Amino acid sequence: MNTRPSILVPIRVLEGESIPEGVPGLLTNAHVVLLGYHVVPEQTAPGQARMQFEDRAAQRLDEYEAILEEAGATVERRLVFTHDGQKTIDRTTTEHDCLAALVPSATGPIEDVLVAVRGAVGVDRLARVVAGLFGGTDVSVTLYHVAGDEETDEDAGTLLDGVVERLGDLGMDTSTVETRVDRERDALDAIVGASDEFDTVVMGESDPSLATFVFGLPADQVADRFLGPVLVVQREPPRETDK
Amino acid sequence: MVDKPVDVEPSGENVAGEAPVAEPEFVTDDATVHDDDVELERTIGLVGGLAIGIGTMIGAGIFVFPGLAASNAGVAATLSFAIGGLIALLVALPTSELATAMPRSGGGYYFVSRGMGTAYGAVVGLGLWLGLMFASAFYLVGLGHYASAVLAELDVALPFSPVIGIGLLFGAALTALSIGGTENTAKIQNVVVGVLLVVLTGFLSYGVLDAVGVFGGGTVPEQFFSRGYFPVLTTAALVFTSYLGFAQVATVAGEIKDPGRNLPLAMVGSVLIVTVFYVVTIFVATSAFGADRLGQFGETAMVEVARDFLGLSGAVAILGAGLLATFSSANASILSASRAVYALSRDALLPRKASEINLRYGTPHVALLAAGGPILVLVATGQVELLAEVASFLHLIMYGLMCVALIVLRRRDPEWYSPSYRVPGYPVLPAVGALASFGLIAFMQPASIGIGIVVMLVSYLWYRYYAGDVTLKGDI
Repeated sequence: MNTRPSILVPIRVLEGESIPEGVPGLLTNAHVVLLGYHVVPEQTAPGQARMQFEDRAAQRLDEYEAILEEAGATVERRLVFTHDGQKTIDRTTTEHDCLAALVPSATGPIEDVLVAVRGAVGVDRLARVVAGLFGGTDVSVTLYHVAGDEETDEDAGTLLDGVVERLGDLGMDTSTVETRVDRERDALDAIVGASDEFDTVVMGESDPSLATFVFGLPADQVADRFLGPVLVVQREPPRETDK
Repeated sequence: MVDKPVDVEPSGENVAGEAPVAEPEFVTDDATVHDDDVELERTIGLVGGLAIGIGTMIGAGIFVFPGLAASNAGVAATLSFAIGGLIALLVALPTSELATAMPRSGGGYYFVSRGMGTAYGAVVGLGLWLGLMFASAFYLVGLGHYASAVLAELDVALPFSPVIGIGLLFGAALTALSIGGTENTAKIQNVVVGVLLVVLTGFLSYGVLDAVGVFGGGTVPEQFFSRGYFPVLTTAALVFTSYLGFAQVATVAGEIKDPGRNLPLAMVGSVLIVTVFYVVTIFVATSAFGADRLGQFGETAMVEVARDFLGLSGAVAILGAGLLATFSSANASILSASRAVYALSRDALLPRKASEINLRYGTPHVALLAAGGPILVLVATGQVELLAEVASFLHLIMYGLMCVALIVLRRRDPEWYSPSYRVPGYPVLPAVGALASFGLIAFMQPASIGIGIVVMLVSYLWYRYYAGDVTLKGDI
């Protein structure tokens, strides 16, 4: 059994966001860092919001924690009152050393997963997420790469084979792993297009403007483009330097 | 990142049976942590902190006071501003130490209540809340003067003076905006302060060059102490309102990132920056016209100075800057007043209801109305100098007590008190800071002192009645 990859699940806990259907199944083998956060306007001190809303928020998180644990995940939780949701998400990711963050959307039972591989950078963390979550399951994994103009098919093949090998090293049965290379216009469009047939997508943070795409754009636009949940693999945190 | 444990345990309950909210478990550079898994994010950086300090202060000293100060003290008003800056610095340094030891919301109120006990805390906290209202009202009347000057510039003749009406209008609008607005006000504040500093730097550079004769203007020859020595000190007491902003940085101390570094830099930095601007402004203004004529121009004297240098475009630029500056000062003070109400209600010195948050906008409407409502009443008086002095009085009491609290804490040296910044020259510097703060009060008008004392008495009686059983002092 692999070590459980830690996955950040950020939920705007007081604004009706919850754990969507299918997500607990996706995170069965994960160590979930459940982040309930509430963004308050600048006129309000975060502590003021805590005085009023802590009980209600904690109650919701209790429910979500129970759902995730029932599905098999281990859960660690945080409730944060903040002026800046993005900063809170970034900080929690770093502090808990999360490999990936989930953009929650509903999905059916997880049967096949699209893993977008951009380049050699960050492949190790990507592989740890995929092997950790899907290694011991019968989920079928497809590695997907959008080749650039100057990239030969051979280059692309080598890249994906490297990932397959890495997954094997991590104890995954690689016979079910498929690979696919596309040459298309825009990488993001290509990924969105390909994701149609899959239940969930795993991709790197540095992939086409995903960092802003995930948390920056209106939620309906995300939902329009990706139908299922997306796991965003986080960049390696910079080593902490001593002050 | 240093995790600081917090060991102060408030206890007791008020008349309504509410107990103070428990203190957080510990404080990090990025968050305040309660019960191990509930956190309050710190989101304001150094620039944001400086913008709060400078934005609050610069409106008054440059755009309202030059004319008034010059008519009181002559050219020596420059010295009055320098004295005010020095006292502010003497207080900002101890405040920095306290703030790094206790980076929590409520600023001066928090330090004094934890260092010296609930009674002092209540007087300072309620005084801070009311002091900020007097300050906001003062800025709004200043804003009214600027807006009226704009109307005059446009040749709009009104049968009555629109100053107070405009002040009231903006006061009501600001309160409504802060209740219903969800815009990113901090970003706007940063931009406003940046624009102001650029406009002022350009304007003052021209003025200084002109005063030393580069453009043939030269200085209006005048005796430095044309009104004698005493008015220099009374003027310093009057214009001290221009230095109240640095403590507003401490009221949001709970939201400042890396507080050990950013709080001292923001407070001391903003005091130094505005002091330079003030002193240069008065020098330039008195050089251009001489103190007598400057005094006749009153609250919008700077507009005439700009017109003298750069013609109509200069006057328009300074009018615009004056509107922006007084507006941002009033806005920052209303928000700080609302933070003060929150801190008091958290500690059960005011009803918990007072910090209730509006479900629709997520803003503390009760606290904002509790600040905005009385401000309108104060604006209606239209008494610029009185409002300014009462605001200064209430702040100076807090400043003096903060210095005393620092000395108390250092002497008793409780385990939880471990500031990452330590004030140089202890105990002389905080002692001088306290004496200077209390001393400056003596130079105010009797009416201001009277109102200030009444406010303090009422605050104390309120504490005795409402929260006499609440203990906030840290274990010593």
